[in-house]
Amino acid sequence: MKIILLTITLIYTIYANDIDKCITCHANTTPIDNFHPYEEFGCASCHGGDKNSLDKQIAHKNMILNPARLENATKSCGKCHKEIINRVSKSIMNNMHGVLDVLRYQFKETKTIEHTKGIEDLKNILTKDQSLADSHFSKLCAACHINQKEEIFKEFGYTSRGGGCVDCHRVNEDKTNTAKDIDILKKFKHPQMSTKIPSKNCLKCHNRSNRIGLSYEGKFESEGYGTPYKKGELTHKLDKSRSYYDLPADIHHQSNKMSCIDCHTEKGVMGDGKSHAHMEDSVDISCVDCHDAKFDKLENQPLASMLIAINNLMPYPSEVAISKRKKSPIYNLQKNDNNITFYRKSDAKALDMTQMSDAPYHTNKDHQRLDCTACHSAWIPSCYGCHEVYFKNGKQYDWIKHKKTKGKWKELRSYLRYESPALAIGYNEKIMPTAPGCQVIMRIYDKNITNEGFHSMAYAAWDPHTTQKQSRTCVDCHFNSTTLGMGSGILDIQKDNNITFMPYYNSKNSGMPFSYPIDSLVSKDGEQFQTFSRTKARGFNKKEVNKIVSAYKCIICHNKWDDKIYNDFTKSKKLFFEKKTSCSKNILK
Amino acid sequence: MFKKYIKMIKYILILILPILIYANECLSCHKNYNANKHFSNHYSMKNAINITRSTWGIKDSNVTLQTLPKAKKNIHSKEDLVDDFLRRKCLSCHLQSKTVNPTNNSCLACHNTHKNNLDSKKATPTMNKCIKCHKNEYIGGEYMGLFPHDYDKSYRSPITPKGYYPNKSAGIDYHHLANDVHYEKGMSCISCHNGMNFEKKVDCKSCHKNPSKKNHKDFHSNLSCNVCHSSWNISSYELNVLRDDTPNYKQWKRLTVQEDIYLENFLTKALKLQKKGILVDPKMPDYITNILEDGLWYSGWRYRRWENNFLVYDQNNKVKIAKPMFQYRISYKDKAGVVILDDIHKNKDGSKIEAFIPKAPHTITKKAKSCEMCHENKIMLDNTLIDKNIVKGKVIKGRLFLKEELDKLQSKKYKLERAKTLF
Repeated sequence: MKIILLTITLIYTIYANDIDKCITCHANTTPIDNFHPYEEFGCASCHGGDKNSLDKQIAHKNMILNPARLENATKSCGKCHKEIINRVSKSIMNNMHGVLDVLRYQFKETKTIEHTKGIEDLKNILTKDQSLADSHFSKLCAACHINQKEEIFKEFGYTSRGGGCVDCHRVNEDKTNTAKDIDILKKFKHPQMSTKIPSKNCLKCHNRSNRIGLSYEGKFESEGYGTPYKKGELTHKLDKSRSYYDLPADIHHQSNKMSCIDCHTEKGVMGDGKSHAHMEDSVDISCVDCHDAKFDKLENQPLASMLIAINNLMPYPSEVAISKRKKSPIYNLQKNDNNITFYRKSDAKALDMTQMSDAPYHTNKDHQRLDCTACHSAWIPSCYGCHEVYFKNGKQYDWIKHKKTKGKWKELRSYLRYESPALAIGYNEKIMPTAPGCQVIMRIYDKNITNEGFHSMAYAAWDPHTTQKQSRTCVDCHFNSTTLGMGSGILDIQKDNNITFMPYYNSKNSGMPFSYPIDSLVSKDGEQFQTFSRTKARGFNKKEVNKIVSAYKCIICHNKWDDKIYNDFTKSKKLFFEKKTSCSKNILK
Repeated sequence: MFKKYIKMIKYILILILPILIYANECLSCHKNYNANKHFSNHYSMKNAINITRSTWGIKDSNVTLQTLPKAKKNIHSKEDLVDDFLRRKCLSCHLQSKTVNPTNNSCLACHNTHKNNLDSKKATPTMNKCIKCHKNEYIGGEYMGLFPHDYDKSYRSPITPKGYYPNKSAGIDYHHLANDVHYEKGMSCISCHNGMNFEKKVDCKSCHKNPSKKNHKDFHSNLSCNVCHSSWNISSYELNVLRDDTPNYKQWKRLTVQEDIYLENFLTKALKLQKKGILVDPKMPDYITNILEDGLWYSGWRYRRWENNFLVYDQNNKVKIAKPMFQYRISYKDKAGVVILDDIHKNKDGSKIEAFIPKAPHTITKKAKSCEMCHENKIMLDNTLIDKNIVKGKVIKGRLFLKEELDKLQSKKYKLERAKTLF
């Protein structure tokens, strides 16, 4: 603690000796935050220019409007926060490898998921030399980028991003400043910075694709009807083209109004210094970090002490929780003696922290491969059919080159659903909720339609962030074709364990270039119709499907977790077939 | 002046000629034809009209297409608005509606012409005639596996191999789901719904006379055949309707597909003109008089689903599959931009205008569905249903399951019987 205070004082003294004349003119500027007062830091330490001059021309020479952009930040923020700027630059939110690498794989441009070009490399590739994936990325995906040019977005909302550090750390919602806005006669609102990042900053980007930000708040991107109408107008709009309806929010949001950063650690968000291919490699936390927490003494965790100091609202405990993946401190989960308390970062409100019980439903041997999310997720947004249309001769705004370039994309869909999350073996070889991601069906127009179209159908597994305290019912997994990954239809099982399935969706008649139902990840026999962009991920195989469904035979009657037959299910089944149980005499002939 | 008269005469001739020619032509041979006997409901539309009027709050409604009151001009409540809604939205489907039958000869709405040759088979109604009206929520399209896409622009998929958007001849494009088994065998609508009594309900047992005793147990004797022998079912939740008399087109830019070809063309044109600075008056036809009237009727759903099956009892205490229909949310904005009705979804007594109606899904399967589709039915049983909005509303011409009837679905007796079939 003392060391931190000393360091801060030291920084203050270094800068305090230097008198900064900018505020002679810019006297009406609002403060940034408590940690960077003008009296101590001045303006020039971040914005450059000549701080000793009162002549506008000289003073403003070589000034930087936004020192928080990553290419500027090494010289400004990086003077003190060098290590963080290095990490952020390599993080997935900056280099965009998570999107790019998968996109190239899905567009069949690479055979495996591998690091090739990052977003920086794409700047130097001429439009005519771009591959389809690169073009798609530049035109449709690249708008979501931590270092996007923030001034191209007019309003704060689901479609405004960028600016480097300020993308996340700016907490006021005013329009992005341009040089013209800075009028010395008027009061100038300097962007306010904070480490207490509100979720709405995260939602600027995390409202698309797997839509976890929306789902967390209980918003399901709807079919686009904008209903119900109120005052003669459409309502429930997300932006110009999308709308939503309300479904149950994640319990962490619903009960405790926790924001994203209450769980997600700085290492998980700003990166660990490595360039990862996927979000799940980058994320630090998992459910058990809090709900089956492991602690370490505070004196061993200097980062935790520093973060508690910056937060400025929380007490100093004797122990803090440590994340299991990256061994980084979760400083808002604290332990004193035997009391565990969780603090909300925004206001340090103490919340009850329930530790995972060791009831049979959690210790059941047959359920050891289940990820927490498999049972505790209420719904998952599933967008079926991503019909990509590429017009070679069209023109569209390029989010990397920041101008209209050749080639235009249009995306159409088949349909949206939120029902029972389907399950599959996820990236971590655990059973997780899954949904289409992405089912690319491509058509290419030159002057007329060409024969170059292809389809590449994939699912993806993720934590949908719709956590509920109550888990799904036994039947909802063990006898539900959607959950098993076969899609909607009629599932049945015969005496001889033979599973029958009649799917509803007829892809061929619906004009798709494949014959399996669009919502079928696997067949009833475990044939994998659609792929994953992770090497270890897959749908259930035949053996697994049979095992899951055959357990249903017992679940019909024994549909409670605490039923004693599940204490040793193998033994119970043996006794049943030996007609040694009370029910077997009635059922077996 | 003279030119104007010629135009008028031309118009009158175009209107009258086909009636003179065709109607006379049909009736000159079919002398014993009796409109009421032949197609009472298709002609009078009394079922559709009176159900709609009663869900909108009009008590003891008993009118027909021919006696439907004129739309009211002064609107204060949803009851005032219903006749306008019927005339300009629902009744785009009736025998003489231009959208269904451009010929002005009622016979030709369903029948094909057979001119001079006496091969009467040629006049037999074909399925494409029936599904002009009997589509989407209304049974018919589903027989051929058709499930409507959503309205938003992004659902005009997939792009066909030749590069075009899918065909929207019925006002909307379709997903193709599992067909009815009768359709698979090549049967058409009139294979079952035939003869002079074709409006009467068809009993499966009139053809399938002796269902095997082994599979058709006594305890299921009060079930309609289709409860077990159907697959998917179109469930349409919350139909939001808005009559807007102001030219507020911009918000419908992505939603021009409204299952109404007139409205779609109008909106597309109006939006184009608006870009050029020209604002056209919002007008759409009264589908009975074919006169353009003020205001446009827009619509949108909460959502439509094919997965959900929900059981109710009908008036004869038979178990049937219910369709959520007529769950109206009604809005009206007048010419001055005043919102007269703002999302009205409750009756005066506070009850919701939402209803389920027992129907017979025409997605018949040879093999019965699994027991779990009903006995473990999430919508009926599960308190953890995700969307609490799917509530169990009022049932038109029937009733909901009572508590003890729901308990029966999960009874020990059922469980034992089911387990016996699996071991």
